[in-house]
Amino acid sequence: MAKPKLGIFSLTGCGGDQLMILNMENELLDLLSYFEIKDFQEGSSYHEDVELDIALVEGSVSTETDLKRLKEIREKSKTLIALGDCAIGGCVQAMRNGQMSMAERMKKVYGVEEDYYDVLEPKGLSAHVKVDLEIPGCPIEKTEIFRAITSLLHGDLPETIDYPVCVECKLNGYPCVLVEKGMPCLGPLTTAGCDARCPGLGLDCIGCRGPIPDEANAAAELDVLLEKGYDEKYIINRLRFFGGNFEDIQKLTKKISERRNKTEGNE
Amino acid sequence: MYKKLAKTEFPRFFEGLGNLGKVYGPVNIEGSTYEFREVQSPEEMDLKYTRTMIPPKKFFLGTKETMYTFDEEKAVYTPAIGKQEKTIIFGIHACDIHALKLLDKVYMDELMDLFYTMKRRNTILIGISCHPDEYCFCKSMGTSYATDGFDLFLHELSDGYFVRVGSEKGHQIIEANKPLFIDADEKDVEEFKMNEKKRLEEFNLELNVLGLQDMLDLAYESPVWQETADECFGCGTCNLTCPTCRCYDVVDYVGLDLKTGERVRRWDSCMLRKHGLVAGGLNFRPTRTERLRNRFNCKGSLTEGMLNCVGCGRCTVYCPAEINFVEVMKKVIGEL
Repeated sequence: MAKPKLGIFSLTGCGGDQLMILNMENELLDLLSYFEIKDFQEGSSYHEDVELDIALVEGSVSTETDLKRLKEIREKSKTLIALGDCAIGGCVQAMRNGQMSMAERMKKVYGVEEDYYDVLEPKGLSAHVKVDLEIPGCPIEKTEIFRAITSLLHGDLPETIDYPVCVECKLNGYPCVLVEKGMPCLGPLTTAGCDARCPGLGLDCIGCRGPIPDEANAAAELDVLLEKGYDEKYIINRLRFFGGNFEDIQKLTKKISERRNKTEGNE
Repeated sequence: MYKKLAKTEFPRFFEGLGNLGKVYGPVNIEGSTYEFREVQSPEEMDLKYTRTMIPPKKFFLGTKETMYTFDEEKAVYTPAIGKQEKTIIFGIHACDIHALKLLDKVYMDELMDLFYTMKRRNTILIGISCHPDEYCFCKSMGTSYATDGFDLFLHELSDGYFVRVGSEKGHQIIEANKPLFIDADEKDVEEFKMNEKKRLEEFNLELNVLGLQDMLDLAYESPVWQETADECFGCGTCNLTCPTCRCYDVVDYVGLDLKTGERVRRWDSCMLRKHGLVAGGLNFRPTRTERLRNRFNCKGSLTEGMLNCVGCGRCTVYCPAEINFVEVMKKVIGEL
């Protein structure tokens, strides 16, 4: 049987997910030997523009160029896998989504209104094209991508994780930093798969694997942290750091800013 | 059989347990988090502990464990049975003993689970008396006292322990440590009885479980389910810290050769979205409200005559959303 053709691509992001693939030093050569690699930007300058069986795409769609590129990749690939938070929900570059226009953001960051880069509001791939599988992480976990690829090669559906970090804390017996220490842990909202690395070290989860789509209860997190004495703005910013593109978090932000405007108007 | 172990003999008794296997006891990890950990000396334990975050079920049903390894080419699968070690769980509370009795029914009597059974048979359970805190409601659940399901049970006295023997293994331990144990005299028996009576008066939390199954049935449409689900993260902490919850999920991981691999199970939770997902994509409990109602109904239902809740309070203590199990139950059945 012919080897499946693989392409690994980057849109807007730090390139950390491709780096994680390169970091799989013990398995990398054996794993890649199952494929004909047609594109692997961070691994080689070799490139061949052909139809692909699997495309792994990291990075968010943040420019018109990204979007054009993504559509081309989708067109020529049987299976499209979004790799990492950027490719799923836009990650940190999406933290002001739904809150501030791109023109305002350009003005704030670069001090100009001209759109030099043909920017789009940063979004994940699925906002624009059909995505077959999403592998979260900032960056992705080596084990997860390894398991996803071996599953696909074996002809199985890869395991998708849609439970929160709390599960992994309990399975590992880590004391709850939210319950025991009142730390502003985002574990209850955040997609697991990291084996609760940070709470295991006594640190609160900052949500780097993104909120669980259509499941994370952001309003409850806000209530819990408010009750623990955290500032509303701080909590919202924390939720937005990796979750700015998520509908529930956007709704919550809107509700709060409307309420604030109302109170200020009354004063 | 009732014996007495004097406080002065306790260290020697504990030391002797080390000859029978690995000894695990309650150790304080942080704040209200205790864990059964391997211990070498009594000083490492806190025998006045409230509850461990992770219940003793972890000894028999690994949080994450390999069940089988497989080789597709050779068409074989091999149960992953590691070295079987003798384990002594020291200082288990009555509620947790009741929970294990329930798990035994499910994992050994109904349908024998190889992995659970092997570990369970290699274990000695030594119970210890406790005092309730504001989250304990085992008295209401009828689990505040264990009559069986343990090998030895130690009840603290002013100058030692009043020891109840619950099994053949328990007798053997007493026999092997004969010089350390004396017969309990009248004064010891009186103290034991008095302590038990006093202890029952210490409970502040109560839940009326009479007709609970009917009350839950009748409350199927209660708005409390939705109100509670709005506060709930659906994070599974309540299930994972529950001594009677026993669902697990199974995943196959294939190796780099794409021929060999392993079948792994890990604790599951009915509060998680995929718990109700079946082949074909149907999810019979798609919303958090349905999942929450299901969990409370499960806890309020019976398995072979036993309630699926032993009143240990873990689900309330460790809930990051501070959802109070007893309070929700009372609201639902109209007692609050």
